[in-house]
Amino acid sequence: MKRLENRSGFGSPVQLEQLVRRTSRGDASAFANLYRQSAPKLFGIALRIVGNRDEAEEILQESFVAVWQRAGDYDAERGSAAGWLVTIVRHCAIDHLRRRARRPEGHRAPDELLASLASGDQGGDRSAELDALRRCLGELDEQPRRAVLLAYLYGFTREEIAAALATPIGTVKSWLRRGTERLKRCLDT
Amino acid sequence: MRYDNRELRERLAAEYILGTLPNRSRRRFERLIAEDPALATVVAHWADRLAPLDTAAPPEEPPARVWRAVEARTTLRAAPAAVAHRWPASLAFWRGLAVAACSAAAALIVYITVSHPLGGPPAPTVVAVLADQSGDPDWIAIAGPQHGEVSVSAVRAQAEDPRHSFELWAIAGGAPRPLGLLRPQSGSAVVISAARLPPPGEVLAVSLEPPDGSPTGLPTGPVLSQGKVLLTSP
Repeated sequence: MKRLENRSGFGSPVQLEQLVRRTSRGDASAFANLYRQSAPKLFGIALRIVGNRDEAEEILQESFVAVWQRAGDYDAERGSAAGWLVTIVRHCAIDHLRRRARRPEGHRAPDELLASLASGDQGGDRSAELDALRRCLGELDEQPRRAVLLAYLYGFTREEIAAALATPIGTVKSWLRRGTERLKRCLDT
Repeated sequence: MRYDNRELRERLAAEYILGTLPNRSRRRFERLIAEDPALATVVAHWADRLAPLDTAAPPEEPPARVWRAVEARTTLRAAPAAVAHRWPASLAFWRGLAVAACSAAAALIVYITVSHPLGGPPAPTVVAVLADQSGDPDWIAIAGPQHGEVSVSAVRAQAEDPRHSFELWAIAGGAPRPLGLLRPQSGSAVVISAARLPPPGEVLAVSLEPPDGSPTGLPTGPVLSQGKVLLTSP
């Protein structure tokens, strides 16, 4: 699969990789620069998942402490620095969600969010990658597409997806499995 | 479950990135990723495939206190006292847990800490020797195999027990920081980045933990061995 050239909201991929590499050598100014370049985007992602500013601040803080400690483990050969950062923040946010009983109310319906991406009213770049992903998501049936989006955008568990879409958990599992298989086929061709 | 099945690896990688793996499967999968660079690549590809959806979250400038807190906990340039009181007490509890969780996510992949057996004749540069209470060496940390890496292995085989693991900690200024799980077999090394070691004079320690490592981000079991860091970079 080709490497993403850029991710909206981050600095240039090459620069980001260099900053992570320098951070792994204990370079505090590179670490500060890495924070400046990526924190707003990562804060936005954490906010979307937990829906609460205090908690999103905690997640951002934890994530960057982890980045400082683990920067030496990042390998640019295997994926983008932005992908590494986003994965850390998303999993940290998911950990926060799962530790509390109640999930945030009032998130936007995933289809609505996807449609808004199409019309560009989120202010996001309409990159070729987004167009391809939207087209491939469009090839999924409605319920499997919702399942994938609820998971990725809002950190829903399988159980929460089952409740939200009023369907048995076994069905959710097979939607996720077949949905991601189909997405991969569509995106990789 | 057979993790060499290609479809299964793809499915688990996709669900890992979607975030729908149950916690236990997620932790187990993170350990597999750390030992399997090819699997790490599959996961990284899934992260990049779904990345365009991140444009659905508009960037938002975080308040300055977040960076001050990060700085206080990492590069130690900010005054920690100025930050410590900003978080509600209830969050302080969560923070301890989150360190472990977030660090585990960072250990990911890719991103990976490769484990492989030691070998080769050149004389090792000793970074630290960790001994038990009676002074007998249990673990040794040596420079390499690559520049900027340190290999930690058992000097003598440690008692293997599926109910326990051996977790390595950096203890600088009295604060433990998890460095990962060690392998109890003699001569089987775990490689970590030298940048993660505490400075010379500070301590590396090994504690006995649950199979997945400490759930709290701090040692929960007895400290079995420890030793001072002699040097961090060869």
